[in-house]
Amino acid sequence: MIEFVEECRREWKHLGVPDPIANEMAADLTADIEEAEAEGGSAEDVLGTSLFDPRRFAAAWAGARGVIAPPVAVDAPAPLLRERNPWYRPAVVLALTGVGFLMTLAAAALVVGRHSSAVAAPVRRIFAVPGPTRFFGPNQPMPPFRYIGPSFTVQNTAPVTVLAFALLLIGLVVLGLAVLYWLPRFRRESKRRLG
Amino acid sequence: MANDGRRSQLLRGVLDLCLLAVMGEGPAYGYEMTKRLRARGLSIVGEGSIYPLLGRLERDRLVETRREASNGGPPRKYYSLSPDGRQALEAGVEEWKAARDAIDGALDLVKVEVTP
Repeated sequence: MIEFVEECRREWKHLGVPDPIANEMAADLTADIEEAEAEGGSAEDVLGTSLFDPRRFAAAWAGARGVIAPPVAVDAPAPLLRERNPWYRPAVVLALTGVGFLMTLAAAALVVGRHSSAVAAPVRRIFAVPGPTRFFGPNQPMPPFRYIGPSFTVQNTAPVTVLAFALLLIGLVVLGLAVLYWLPRFRRESKRRLG
Repeated sequence: MANDGRRSQLLRGVLDLCLLAVMGEGPAYGYEMTKRLRARGLSIVGEGSIYPLLGRLERDRLVETRREASNGGPPRKYYSLSPDGRQALEAGVEEWKAARDAIDGALDLVKVEVTP
């Protein structure tokens, strides 16, 4: 029986239980077991099934009393926002869905308005591409012949088209991922409502 | 076997209440409480020990402790009910009775055939 108490002591030492408290618990345990044995009983009358697992018993007792020393320098890091807030992931996916939708919308607008200078000019500035070629307009060399007619401008629509398709591609990918995220949830919710 | 498991689970759920109840009879040290429980038909053999439960009751300030010399033996740690513990005991007994009555109400519908 001494071995049981010694095993408990080792566990308390390992858990950082202060010596005076460990001594007190060991003394109480020893006295109770000795009394049980003196009355013709056994340690099992005192300890029940805990008799067969001294380390677990010792840890449970010290833990219940709140005398286990906190671990040193191994503090768990604070939980991340996504671990603390259950709405974090749906909110992020919702935001991405919105961004994907806007990108697709912007791509459609660019495709539709790619011939318009109002659309082409900002894109041209972004991509630093040469401006439209203006024929026979103001500040342009006049042809060596007399031209009677309106001047006209040829817009360079290539950057607009490239941007539109890039936006469309990214937007569709984002929307596709969003659908993959939401679809199982919608199915689960539908099943739950249908019982 | 299944009955033993159920009895064990039931006892585990109310053992703290039983400990408070036997402490209500007067201060007692660990093994003395085990003996009081056994005298009422509750043996902890087959269960875990009462010490972790006593530790929790102490931490929750439901019991007060003092070290006293026992009859010729080493000083023992005596546990007695604190005012909070007495309140917890009263509330727990009410809870137990309400649960017991509800369960009796459900189980009384069952006709058990007793074979001679």
